[in-house]
Amino acid sequence: MMKNIIYTILAISICLGLGKLINYAIGGLPASLYGMIIYCILLQLNLVTPNRVNQANQWAIKHMGVCFIPAALGVINHFELIKSHGIALVAIILVTTFLLLTFVGLLAEKYLTTKTKPSSPVGSC
Amino acid sequence: MHIESITLADSLMLTLLTIVLYQSMAWVQQKWQLIWLNPLLLSIVMLIPFLLLSHIPYESYRQSTQTLNALLEPATVALGYPLYLQLRNIKRNWQQLIAILALGVIIVITLSFSLTILLIHQKEIAIALSLKSVTTPVGIILTEQLQGDSSITPFAIMIAGFSGALLGPSWLRFINVRSNIAIGLSVGAASHVIGSIILSKNNVHQGAYSSVALIISAVLTAFIIPILIPLLSMIFI
Repeated sequence: MMKNIIYTILAISICLGLGKLINYAIGGLPASLYGMIIYCILLQLNLVTPNRVNQANQWAIKHMGVCFIPAALGVINHFELIKSHGIALVAIILVTTFLLLTFVGLLAEKYLTTKTKPSSPVGSC
Repeated sequence: MHIESITLADSLMLTLLTIVLYQSMAWVQQKWQLIWLNPLLLSIVMLIPFLLLSHIPYESYRQSTQTLNALLEPATVALGYPLYLQLRNIKRNWQQLIAILALGVIIVITLSFSLTILLIHQKEIAIALSLKSVTTPVGIILTEQLQGDSSITPFAIMIAGFSGALLGPSWLRFINVRSNIAIGLSVGAASHVIGSIILSKNNVHQGAYSSVALIISAVLTAFIIPILIPLLSMIFI
């Protein structure tokens, strides 16, 4: 158990370290996103054993919310913005969220549910 | 309490307080099983009066709790594990799936950014809002990379999450989207983890597809947004 926790921490740290190297060398994505992709690849190649990271990794994901607090609390400096633009902010978020839902929903329904109706003549355009 | 220079003790105390508060809120949510009792939201609602009453400037709080902020990086790396778990689910139609999600990402960033610039005229806020459909750690990290306002991002992400997760399934039924894959992907793309949690409670397949969508959308966003925002800025500013 303890060994698996250390194993997970090590695996994630190494991936993050590699991510930082790549970010330093070529820029582009943030280091942690490179790290995430490397982590996924190492798991896929079985260079990191999925069974050994399962428990600690799920624990970390379940509890990561606490890390968002320092950034989120910055809203304390934004009472003016919310007072003058709060409604516009919420409206923009709601409208774009439902447009995205509609767009992805309709396209996925059309192009990704092919197994029920095989090779329709206009299916693949 | 005045903090001119932050001591280790202050830093420890504020960090511990934050963790204990968040953990108790998470416990409250688990006990009552109500999704909108979001522990992040509740913690913020309680910390704001605390900071104001004890005259702790936000900048000092932020510096004292930088350990927590630094943990965003390993937390993001940890998302590689669910991505690995979901890869087998998308093997079949992966090109179409990625194309649809990428188009979705481009549309949502373009619309959110331009609407915010037109209505509110603040680039930092526009960047934060254009990252409202990705999962929170990635959203915060990308906002900071693009010099947006990362304090707005988590709230925008929460509003997008709750609205799409709670009303999305009925809306999708209304526009005749009925397959598990389409419901899962669209709610995951628009409402990330919150959508995924709510879908998983009713339908495991929808839940699985939504977590595919949320992680792939986050990766796609990371690739697309550093190119798209400068382009949009040239047009609008």
